[in-house]
Amino acid sequence: MSARSALPVIAAAAAIVVLAGCSSTKSDGKKGSGGLELVSSGTLKTCTHLPYAPFQVKKDGKVVGFDVDLVDLVAKDLGVKQEIVNTPFEGIETGQDFTIRKCDLAAAGMTITSARDKVMDFSDPYFNATQALLTKSGKPFKKVEELKGKKLGYQKATTGGIYAKKHGKGVELVEFEDLGLLLTAVKSGQVAAGINDNGVLFDYVKQNPDTKVTAEFNTGEHYGIGVRTGNDALRKKVNAVIKKAKSDGSYDRIYKKWFGTTPQS
Amino acid sequence: MSLSKRQRARAVRSVQYGVLVAAVVAFALVADWHQLRMAFFDVEVAKALFPEIITTALVNTVLYTLLGFGFGLALGLVLALMRLSSVPPYRWLAVTYIEFFRGIPCLLVFIALGFGVPLAFEVALDMNITVMLSLGLVGAAYMAETIRAGIQAVPKGQTEAARSLGMSHGRAMVSIVIPQAFRIVLPPLTNELILLTKDSSLVYLLGLSLTQFELANFGRDALNEHKSLTPILIAGLLYLVITLPLGQLVRRLEARTAKAR
Repeated sequence: MSARSALPVIAAAAAIVVLAGCSSTKSDGKKGSGGLELVSSGTLKTCTHLPYAPFQVKKDGKVVGFDVDLVDLVAKDLGVKQEIVNTPFEGIETGQDFTIRKCDLAAAGMTITSARDKVMDFSDPYFNATQALLTKSGKPFKKVEELKGKKLGYQKATTGGIYAKKHGKGVELVEFEDLGLLLTAVKSGQVAAGINDNGVLFDYVKQNPDTKVTAEFNTGEHYGIGVRTGNDALRKKVNAVIKKAKSDGSYDRIYKKWFGTTPQS
Repeated sequence: MSLSKRQRARAVRSVQYGVLVAAVVAFALVADWHQLRMAFFDVEVAKALFPEIITTALVNTVLYTLLGFGFGLALGLVLALMRLSSVPPYRWLAVTYIEFFRGIPCLLVFIALGFGVPLAFEVALDMNITVMLSLGLVGAAYMAETIRAGIQAVPKGQTEAARSLGMSHGRAMVSIVIPQAFRIVLPPLTNELILLTKDSSLVYLLGLSLTQFELANFGRDALNEHKSLTPILIAGLLYLVITLPLGQLVRRLEARTAKAR
């Protein structure tokens, strides 16, 4: 073998040694207080999908809302700052965002379902949600079944969509990427009605008096805060904070701030 | 030890190769193949996608693209002729149109037509028409410039010869110049078709019913259902199923044109 042809081989071998050296010295990650490990130390990263008023919505260049205030309590307890990561809902819902360590927890007005429970761990329920039907004012629809032959819009990867698919035989279902598009489609008459969680729809109706929530379907849904599967340290912390907030009145205060009423249960 | 210029060049190249090889090997060693395979190549999930991913998603993608391309090509031809017209207002109109639609994102056009029109006139356009207009309006702006360049590339002698045979200007354009121009612009037009194929995924903004799903949306929907990235990969590969034969077709046509000359 001449020296010339050996050059690439030597270079490659050297580079591999260097790179292998790098990869074998992976750090163990910094431990936070109480064995709690954050994706990046000093910040509590929250995955959410905007906009979802009044749970998370952008206002004056900041993300605010019910979920944001609640998670702020957790962040305060941990002595860190909350950082919101806006990401497509499907990435949150499928657990992918946790797999790739995009965030520590997900607070996205997300209903606890068994399918989602398989790909992440949920906190205790922190909000009771029902599905509701939004139409333009003056439309009579009270049930999904009454929309036979008409268009019913739902948001991709939401429980409203699951409800619509289950009860909407003969209804033309139309899928929307996000809530904003769904609501606009109802307002512009592209769909006869839209289905989504009660909290957001009531918030929308407040700002848009030409629309109305005509029905609520009690589906027994609860919102939960999601963490990466096995991240019990953080999950327990979140549960403790929710429990404390409910007993010391700060939960009711936040609830009143965003919904104008006090929680029923 | 002093190296000659040639030797030095060779050494530099060897290092470059080395780094490249090392990067590939490092990637192969470091990547978690099991995780990747589980996420992207889940056979069970892949099986569940068929046949709908072909019969609905692929078909719709092709349909949306063809609608947009057809409308865009017709409008683009008109715009190109307007731009070359000797009547100034036509030229101004065409230039304004082209600059505007070439400059704004296709996304905005979809939103404007899909949501703006119903809000303004209280009539919702048919889905297919909205797609045709949205993709076509943007595509036309690009195609107009391509076609104009093609028309200008046809030698002047062709027009002069046609005119000297007694053809009117319009006749000469239609029978002599434009057919030749289209031969010239065939490759860039195919590019436009391929771009439109991918832009057709923007249709998701309009809200889709199950029968209206195209590839990207279908893939993402299945991603949610199966909690696996496999559907996205397969949908992506199916775009290649559309675009690769297109490239092949154009190369064929080009070869034939070259022979005919």
